[in-house]
Order: sequence, then structure tokens, then C-alpha cells
Amino acid sequence: MDIQLNGLVIICGNYGSGKTEVAVNLAAYRKQMGDTVQIADLDLVNPYFRTREARKQLAELGVEVILPAEMYIHADLPILSRSVSGMIRNSAGLSILDVGGDDAGATVLSSLANSFQGKTPRMLQVVNPFRPQTETLAGVLKIKSAIERASRLSINGFVGNANLIDETTPEIVFEGYELLTRVSDETQIPLEFITIPEELRDTVSADKFDVPILFIQRQLIPPWKLTGRPRTFLPIFSETG
Amino acid sequence: MRKVLMKGNEAIGEAAIRAGCLNYFAYPITPQSEVAEYLSKRMPEVNGVFLQGESEVAVGYMIFGAAACGARVMTTSSSPGISLMSEAISYIAGAECPAVFVNIMRGGPGLGGILPSQADYLQATKGGGHGDYRLLVMAPASVQEAVEMVMQAFPLAEKYRNPIMILGDGLIGQMMEPVVFPDDLKTEPGNKNDWATNGMDFRGSDKRNLVRSLYLDPEVLNAQNLKLKAKYEQMKREEIRYESYKTDTDYQVLIVSYGTMSRVCKTAIDNLLEEGIRVALIRPQTLFPFPEAAIRQAASAKSCRVVMSIEMSMGQMLEDVDRSVQGRLPVEWYGKCGGDVPTPEEVADSVKSFLQKYSKE
Repeated sequence: MDIQLNGLVIICGNYGSGKTEVAVNLAAYRKQMGDTVQIADLDLVNPYFRTREARKQLAELGVEVILPAEMYIHADLPILSRSVSGMIRNSAGLSILDVGGDDAGATVLSSLANSFQGKTPRMLQVVNPFRPQTETLAGVLKIKSAIERASRLSINGFVGNANLIDETTPEIVFEGYELLTRVSDETQIPLEFITIPEELRDTVSADKFDVPILFIQRQLIPPWKLTGRPRTFLPIFSETG
Repeated sequence: MRKVLMKGNEAIGEAAIRAGCLNYFAYPITPQSEVAEYLSKRMPEVNGVFLQGESEVAVGYMIFGAAACGARVMTTSSSPGISLMSEAISYIAGAECPAVFVNIMRGGPGLGGILPSQADYLQATKGGGHGDYRLLVMAPASVQEAVEMVMQAFPLAEKYRNPIMILGDGLIGQMMEPVVFPDDLKTEPGNKNDWATNGMDFRGSDKRNLVRSLYLDPEVLNAQNLKLKAKYEQMKREEIRYESYKTDTDYQVLIVSYGTMSRVCKTAIDNLLEEGIRVALIRPQTLFPFPEAAIRQAASAKSCRVVMSIEMSMGQMLEDVDRSVQGRLPVEWYGKCGGDVPTPEEVADSVKSFLQKYSKE
């Protein structure tokens, strides 16, 4: 099963659900599959660990990355690049919008309402059931409606991103899948795909799931983990920006 | 209890609630703002008080007021915000009230930058505000340790009737890690009737509690300062904490490092060992009181050639390391202070160059 996403894809979710890891890995994966991919960093609320941290690596892969001007990259200012509305209007291939967390982060989408006119974006809510706000069905739905109110758009897909970073086990992946399946049944909104850490690729068999899988190679990693691990592209803090 | 994934700032807020702190006043500043955001939602759920002050100066005195009433109280801020609170911190120490301050440090001086830094070491450990006072300063290296230290800070603040500071670099606040919360503290300040202005009838006492730091009589003020000094000496006897890493080897280099920086050092130490270079680490978990004796003892190892203070500041902790080593070995510094955390490779390069320099002599 492959991830069937095209056109405009908005990645949203609660704070710390792993939106950026999902967005960056999805962009890299689809680019490597030969698609045209663009990604825009719309995270106006988080000061660290944003898509912009992986900009160099994505650009090297040939993914077009839309960001605030380089000189403002470390400013904690809500800068929305003008190119974003252009990207929405003229999206070709797969165009990913990586949005900030919670309703606060999704508010930026309502300011782009004009650009969305006549478009039918896929709006995916990333859920990690090991985050305290989304441990239950009720928690997931609460975040969902808050994001929909703030963005003036409807969520029409879920992404299961169950993980405890380095402490992720197959049990955690299964437990997350179970909750997301219930969320999908309850809302009648499809579970678009789930994520599994690259390290567990051989441990967790894909036929246990009825949905596509995106294997995640963590890009936004802390500075003490920079050595020793081969990766497709280099992580955060390896450049002077 | 189930493990959950939390951002350091959220976990710090949750830890305060679980420690029985129902009073939180703050003013937002990057990279600490998520504590305030989190507690603005959580405090109403537990009938606690969240209040955003009009400035850090105001927040500092709100903390003083709540502490004077015998409430468990906390604020969080980042470097410039802590500077603004420093006057109140001095008053709180002078008036002997317990309170918890969390500093999620950003780069300085001045407005600096929003990326991680450890440049407030001297401010936290040597004063910041005026007068002869000290803070008990705890420095977590992970989200889990931040949770534990916040929860331990409240009883410690009450034990010493003194402000406690949790000092974390920006990454401690911003990074996400799995955490498990210890059991909730069921206690409240057991000794609060000693100082709190909670009413003589309420506490069934005919002794008036007066919270003050004004002592115009020179002999009385001197006595008050001697009393404070005795508390700080007691902290040095009872509260020193540190972690030793690879100190059971015949190491050639001893690193002293704390917080996120110490985790980079551990990676570097592991990598260096593969090259046959043996390095040990002392990680202070309390910065005041400082683990002087442990560092001095570790620096006495026959195989050791040089001691290094590795910090995201320009040699601030170096002064304490130097003082601890007492001339037994050369003490050198390595660090960065712009927001880029040194990489394990950079740390290893620095270790190798100093080892080479001092192996020749």
C-alpha cells in the first residue's frame, strides 16, 4: 500500500504531535519516489525544531522549501512568506504545508483563506496517542474541532504518529494504531497513513496494518546524537544558519 | 504510571502542579513561554491560579506576596526576564520566604538570541540581585530530571526558607522526551506557620509573623546575614549533587559539564574511548552548592593530565572548577555561546588538543 496523496496537503495537529517530522519525511520520501515536491514552513508558534531546521537537507534532495527570509530564520516573529499563497495557487505535484501546533498554530491558515478558494486541500491531523492531550478519542476530537475553528478548514484525514522517540517499541506502534482506527471509525474520516521509526522497519510487519506506512527517519534530533548514525540527510544544528 | 511524550516546558508546568503548587505567575518570553501557555490551561482545571503579570518586575513581587502567605508558588522565565526579577529574588531571600524560580536560558548579553545557552551561570550562582544571598541552583540534563528537580524544589525551598532556582538551557525547555511523573507530593509547607502571614487566629498563635527584609539596626542586620550565611553553609553540607561518568577508569582528561552540554560530552567521551582516549565526566546537578570536593578528588587521579570546563558560556563555570581543583592540574575551557550547541566532534577535537598539549609537559 502506498501513500496516495497529491496536490495540496496541510499537516496540522496538536502541539508536539510530530507534524514536522511527518511533513519532512513525507516530502523526502515522495521526492525520492520521483515526484515533484514543495514544502512550506508555516510554523509561526514554535521557536525550535521546525521544518526550516532541515531546509538544507531538503533542498539538496531537490524539494522546494518555502521559508521566511534567511536573515529572519532565528527570529521568534510570526513571519508568513509571501511565496506561500503563490504555492497554494499554483501547486504542482505534492505541496505540503507544515502548520504550527494546536489552534494557535492553525490560525495562520484562516489568513490564507483567499488562496484556498476553489482548492480542495487534504487537511491531515497528526496524532501521537502518547502525547497527554491526545491519549483518548475525546482528546483527539477536542483538538480537531479547535483546529477546524481556528483554520476555517475541515480535517479530512488522520495520520497516526505513535512514538516515544528513541523509546518507541512495536507495542507503542500497535497501541497507537488501535486508537487511530477507533478515531477513524467514529469520525468516518480516513486514517491516511501511520508512521513507524526506520529502526523498527524489520521488527514490525506491515501486513498487520490496513493502511499505508511512512517510515520515519528522525531529522530534528538533539545535538548529542549527531554522530555515529548514517542518515540520508544531516540533522539540525549541523550548520551555522 | 504510563510514559508520555512531553516538551520540557510542559513537563515543568505539570511537575509544579503535582508538587502541590497552585500559584503560578509569569510573563511570556522565548524559549520558556510554553510553561505559561500550559499552566494557563491546567491551573483552572485544578482550581489553581494562573496570572500573567504586566511585567517580570511585577511577577517577582507577586511571587514574594504569595510566598509570604505560605503558598507554594513558582514562576518561570528566561534570561532577561530573570534579570528583571532579581530585585524581588533578593527581597525574598532577605525575608526568608520559599519560592521556585525556573530560568530556561537563552543567549545574552542584552536581548541576545532565542537559542540555547548557559550564560546565566554566574547570575544564578553568585547573586544576580543585590546583597549577601544565595540561591540553591539545580541544573537538569533531561526532561525527566527537570520534572524531578521541580518537584523536589518546593520542599527544599521550604526547608531553607529560601528561593530555589532551576537552571536549564533552552533545549531543556524546548525538546521533547518521554517522561514518567513521580507520585504527587501530598505535603504542603509544614513549617509555614513559622513565617506565613496567615493570621494569628488561623494558626492559633499569639506571635505576630512579619515578613520583611528591612533591618535598620546594624547589629540586627549583621545577625540576620549571619543567619543566612549559616543556611548557605548547611546547603553546602547537605545538598550537593552530581553525577560521575567513567570516573572508574584511568582517565587522562576530566570534563566538568552540566545540562544539555553534558549529554554532548558523554557522546564525545564514548566516541573518544573507541579511539583509545579515556575521558571522565563530573556533571554538577547542583551548581550552588557546587561539587567542589568531588571535582578535587577526581582531579587527583594519577592518570589525569588536564581538567576541562565545557559550557555554553564563556568560562563562567570555569572559575568554580578552577577553585575546586586548587592548582592540582591545569584547568581549561571549551564552549560556545551563540545558540549553536557544540557537537560531539567539536568537543572531542578540543579534548584531543588539550590532551596533546599537556601530555608533552
